[in-house]
Amino acid sequence: MISPDPLVRVTDLTTHFPIRRGLLRRTVGAVRAVDGVSFDIARGRTLGLVGESGCGKTTVGRSILRLVEPTGGSVQIGGSQIRSLRGDALRRMRQRMQIVFQDPYGSLNPRMTIRQILEEGLVIHRLGDAAARRERMLSALDRTGMPSVALDRYPHEFSGGQRQRIAIARALVLEPEFLVLDEPISALDVSIQAQVINLLVELREQLGLTYLFVSHDLGAVEYIADTVAVMYLGRIVEQAEAVELRRAALHPYTLALFSAVPSVELHRRRRRIVLPGDVPSPANPPPGCRFHPRCPLAEAVCRSVDPSATSHGGHTVSCHIATRFMAESENDVQAASARLSSSLAVAAAEPVR
Amino acid sequence: MAHRSSGFWAEAWRRYRRRPLGIAALGFVGLLVVIAVFAPAIAGTKPVLCRYKGRLYAPCLGYFDRRLEPAIFAKDKFRGTYPKNLAAKDPESWAIWPLVFQDPYRPVRADEWPGRPENPAMDQGHPTWSNLFGTDQGGVDVFAKMVHGTTIALLVGFVSMGIAGTIGIVVGAIGGFFGGWIDSVTSRLTEIVMCIPTLVLILAIVAIIEKPSIWHTMAIIGFTGWTGIARLTRGEFLRIRGSEYVTAARASGAGPLRIMVRHILPNALAPILVPITFGIAAAILTESGLSFLGFGSPPPSASWGSVLNGARSNLAMWWLVVFPGTAIFLTVLAYNLIGEGLQEATDPRLREARK
Repeated sequence: MISPDPLVRVTDLTTHFPIRRGLLRRTVGAVRAVDGVSFDIARGRTLGLVGESGCGKTTVGRSILRLVEPTGGSVQIGGSQIRSLRGDALRRMRQRMQIVFQDPYGSLNPRMTIRQILEEGLVIHRLGDAAARRERMLSALDRTGMPSVALDRYPHEFSGGQRQRIAIARALVLEPEFLVLDEPISALDVSIQAQVINLLVELREQLGLTYLFVSHDLGAVEYIADTVAVMYLGRIVEQAEAVELRRAALHPYTLALFSAVPSVELHRRRRRIVLPGDVPSPANPPPGCRFHPRCPLAEAVCRSVDPSATSHGGHTVSCHIATRFMAESENDVQAASARLSSSLAVAAAEPVR
Repeated sequence: MAHRSSGFWAEAWRRYRRRPLGIAALGFVGLLVVIAVFAPAIAGTKPVLCRYKGRLYAPCLGYFDRRLEPAIFAKDKFRGTYPKNLAAKDPESWAIWPLVFQDPYRPVRADEWPGRPENPAMDQGHPTWSNLFGTDQGGVDVFAKMVHGTTIALLVGFVSMGIAGTIGIVVGAIGGFFGGWIDSVTSRLTEIVMCIPTLVLILAIVAIIEKPSIWHTMAIIGFTGWTGIARLTRGEFLRIRGSEYVTAARASGAGPLRIMVRHILPNALAPILVPITFGIAAAILTESGLSFLGFGSPPPSASWGSVLNGARSNLAMWWLVVFPGTAIFLTVLAYNLIGEGLQEATDPRLREARK
């Protein structure tokens, strides 16, 4: 999305992990976990990043925060070039960008009380005296719906949902502008998921937070995100406003994802598109379009030419077929999406092997 | 929810307390500490407290360090024998004596204590009421020697494992946390030190050093015995480094030192403490072995192993084997039981298996 003054601007981000082998630990290749990802997030908005496990969506979040060192591209948050920050400057920046992890059982140090966990960031950034720190901790707990008695307890005394609230409180206590939510509800019981996601929406409204919401759950992403980016094998294949994407997805992969979301509305139930095979290894991505080995509509051009992103009024898609369908339907996104959807259903119905 | 939240170590202690053997072992080591601290009051020939020429003195402190013995007794030519001298040189004097009037460094002479005969020497010194554990070839009381040797047995364990634990944890933590070439360097260093045979090194050093003391032995055991601890620490740090709470700490801006000390070490400590406890037992055995061979603490300091050494020349003196041997055995057993208890109290996997 092109917005005039985004809080977060990621341009052509790549994160490759070297594969080392042998006695001399020579680099023999690279896992291209993130391979040229670009997006903007406007202040106060939420970008949802969806994709299968292993597509690199978690690495995108961590690369932006420099928890994993990116190998290329640029990340700008509030005007600062994150990739060029060193030492103290990076540490100061960390106060403005925080993260909530997927597993609330792994993300809280079992040997620390909630007080110690919440206080650590404040101590590191030298924010306030003891009384002021206590005030901030209590307010963060209060915002996340946790009682103040939680302070002197240990993580193991809380349930998964409560732990995730504490993890959110830890992120909030530093009063950041930008939060990476790395599958924050995936490890929780379904009954708790709604509570936590509503809490996140509430906090965004109250505090004017900007989110990068990473998830494999398209339903949750649609609910919380303003814009959705779909990732496949280290690349963003389609990106659009949440409503637009729901109404008129253009990438075969996005359509397949949507067809897998269970729906209670009978008239909206679509035919399930089952993709053959597995996600290829990001260490050795296929040539041409990365999705072609699993795409029911793949043609010769898909196997050789890597599609570039084409934008149709804020709706970006990287797919030869979709671009052609768009041209054939005179740039009517909805018509192209419907045609694509039906040809997919036909193609996927045929035996693949 | 009125209960107070208990931390990891409070929980571990609660589980440890359930094991009677572990508690007994802890009690035994506690007893040894008490014996070591009060050794001069338990066995000795110097008054615990005495009044001499109008002033109070505690000559028994001389057992800890020669310089702590009040100078006035040397000036008045006591020559280390107190009972008669005190009475002869100051009729007004009084003294509180140790429980057992026997000296760990010299045989007690005839009539030194009213009505007590001279300590028997050689194989005549079997246990009697005046020599509870018998005497060695030179006529020195074995009980007194062993009471005063307790300090060495404890110190050997704590000092050498203190050194080994510190080096091991630091080296392992650095290697495991930073990885890469730093890890290669520390790992190779660990492997090299692992190749050094401790016993041979000690023998060599003892041969080179002019005045070898028990401290040299402890230092060598410590400087060679850290490898296992380093490897374990490295593994733990490697494991915990990748955990999400460490990533969360990095996201909060925590530096390497803070992450290592505040986040990783507390979670890695329990499994590291177990081999340290076993190491204490091993160090005591090593020292005893060295003393038995005659390379341990040189006289006059007395260790349990050096008492055993006396039995080498005369096997008929069974009391020189049985008493120190039992003491060494029990101490090593106690440390091993403590280590095992610690392991069971802190390792969640073992706990599950025992349920």
